[in-house]
Amino acid sequence: MIEFGLFHFLMAFVGVVVGIVFGALPGMTATMAIAVFLPLTYAYDLHVSLFLLIGLYVGGISGGLIPAILVNIPGTPSSICTSFDGYPMAKRGEATRALRIGITASLFGGLFSLLLLFLFTPPLARVALSFSSVEKFLIILFALSIIAALSKGNMVTGVFAGFLGVFFSLIGQFADNNKMRMVPDFLSVDLRNGLQLLPVLIGLFALVQIFQEAESGMRDDAVDADLSRDVRGFSFSDLKGQVFNLFRSASIGTFVGILPGVGGSAASLLSYSQAKNFSRHPEKYGTGCVDGLIASEGANNGLTGGALIPLLSLGIPGDSTTAVLVGAFMLQGVQVGPLFITNNLDLWHVILLALLLCNFLMFFVMFYPIKYIAAVIKFPKYRIFPVIMLLCVIGAYSSRYGNMFDVWTMLFFGVLGYIFLKIKIPIVPFLIGFILGKDLEKYFVDSIKGVGGSLSVFFTRPMGWVIWILIFASIAWAVYDSGREKRRAAAGSGGSQG
Amino acid sequence: MLRVTYRPSTSHWIFPPIILGILALLLAVMTVQRAIRCRRAGQPFFDWEKMRFFEPGCDKLKLSGSVVLFVLYIYAMEYIGFLAASIVFVFLYSVLFYGVERLKEIPAALRSGKPWSSAALRSVCVSLALSALFSTAVWFLFARVFRVTLP
Repeated sequence: MIEFGLFHFLMAFVGVVVGIVFGALPGMTATMAIAVFLPLTYAYDLHVSLFLLIGLYVGGISGGLIPAILVNIPGTPSSICTSFDGYPMAKRGEATRALRIGITASLFGGLFSLLLLFLFTPPLARVALSFSSVEKFLIILFALSIIAALSKGNMVTGVFAGFLGVFFSLIGQFADNNKMRMVPDFLSVDLRNGLQLLPVLIGLFALVQIFQEAESGMRDDAVDADLSRDVRGFSFSDLKGQVFNLFRSASIGTFVGILPGVGGSAASLLSYSQAKNFSRHPEKYGTGCVDGLIASEGANNGLTGGALIPLLSLGIPGDSTTAVLVGAFMLQGVQVGPLFITNNLDLWHVILLALLLCNFLMFFVMFYPIKYIAAVIKFPKYRIFPVIMLLCVIGAYSSRYGNMFDVWTMLFFGVLGYIFLKIKIPIVPFLIGFILGKDLEKYFVDSIKGVGGSLSVFFTRPMGWVIWILIFASIAWAVYDSGREKRRAAAGSGGSQG
Repeated sequence: MLRVTYRPSTSHWIFPPIILGILALLLAVMTVQRAIRCRRAGQPFFDWEKMRFFEPGCDKLKLSGSVVLFVLYIYAMEYIGFLAASIVFVFLYSVLFYGVERLKEIPAALRSGKPWSSAALRSVCVSLALSALFSTAVWFLFARVFRVTLP
């Protein structure tokens, strides 16, 4: 039996509303929303906190459609394709209709992925329960290889970023023998337990964004769509003939969510391109076509439940936002992984309930008052980002109940993340490597210590072989896909030259 | 078959060299890939003239200012406390992000006897009020209501 009352409802509501605001403001994302609001969860138990955090997640992903449709700038990367058809619709006086179609597709995507989360997480966790440290090590290796497979055209850089994250996670004390490594003497107290996740991720996801906005001059986006002019309003009949599109988009979104390190932008792009490929009128895509809008929004909300599947069954975050959620669980002393559902059945039910509630709240909060909600994109950035900075400091400082070193860590990773962006090292694989690094080491050492250090242990178990095949398949796919991308790019540039 | 020497006393040094080795290998692969790409395209490996770290039209004042202010903010919190430092630095950030160059119109507006005709002056005043309001609200919410430790 799970505890649910008015307070839980209010937390979910606040989460959804704040998430929508974050999602609607270009430059601010669901990941950032969760990162800066994590300190609020210190005051409450995880049950209450989850309603807030999942509200921020669902709201943050959904809010991105508002600027995508109204100003042709996706509020979050996951709304990248929403602007392709949403904006042309807004330009011809169908802004409200486009927004409402997007919101309805988002609700469907969210609920569909919730159903798959409910169906697939427990069996996957049951399989993972039979894993020894060998299989656990290989599964993390598999997650890192998927990062490579999906880093389009940047396969090696993606893997490099992942292993660099692993390297940073090793700094500090090794739990097996309590000995320090890679820490200068003067930081031995502050770095005894290594770099803390929360300052690292706030630095990577909030400060980097602020530095980028500062670099581009904190320009506000002009709103040129007129919401008061409704040439054609929304009707649920707009969704007629879209059932297959909705199911396909939500499935793609959920599947992409399951893959570690792949963000909503990939879900949106993949779903949009599939919808276009299967369409009988692909030429209409990009001109204000409802199908394209549904494909993008159904997929990005499908990501929400999908990204939680590997997190709750294997302990591997599916995207950057669920990577931040790991921080929330860690702060409350809850271990995510195969034992999560068995040991925390009540929390599992809370997550399902919170996702269900937040998806409906997102729909009702956005659908009816959309004209008023859309006004948030007019908030000037120069007033919002200083407050975000303030929240970042609180988040980092209080992650270990008051440690200024963590604020410096946050700044360090903010600057490092900014440099990463400039030299094209992807941040999400780095963060996933950082989160999984300690476990990767633990399972590696646990695997070899019982067999006198022989590495053959990784090739002796049948389940291990299955995972090796998956690893090699993902690398083979990565090599093939990378070559195909390069050939396509070369053909494109050749064509354009010709 | 490959073997790793496992001793509990030195087990903390088993994994880091492996990861460093992988990183070095990947770095070498990336270098070779770039060298091949550049050779095929007939470009130098380091094209310093075309290499650009900042985006075109980069606002260097806002970018460097945001980093410098952050460092000063951390020191200020230790000396004058969270609330006072936050009011000052949220205000300074608001002014920085609004655009320091836009403040040039303020002296002229003050001299003209119609100070409120200046959008910059109005913005600065609003920023000051909001900085105090937001910082106090956030401090009250976290420090008093949620009992979160603040600097």
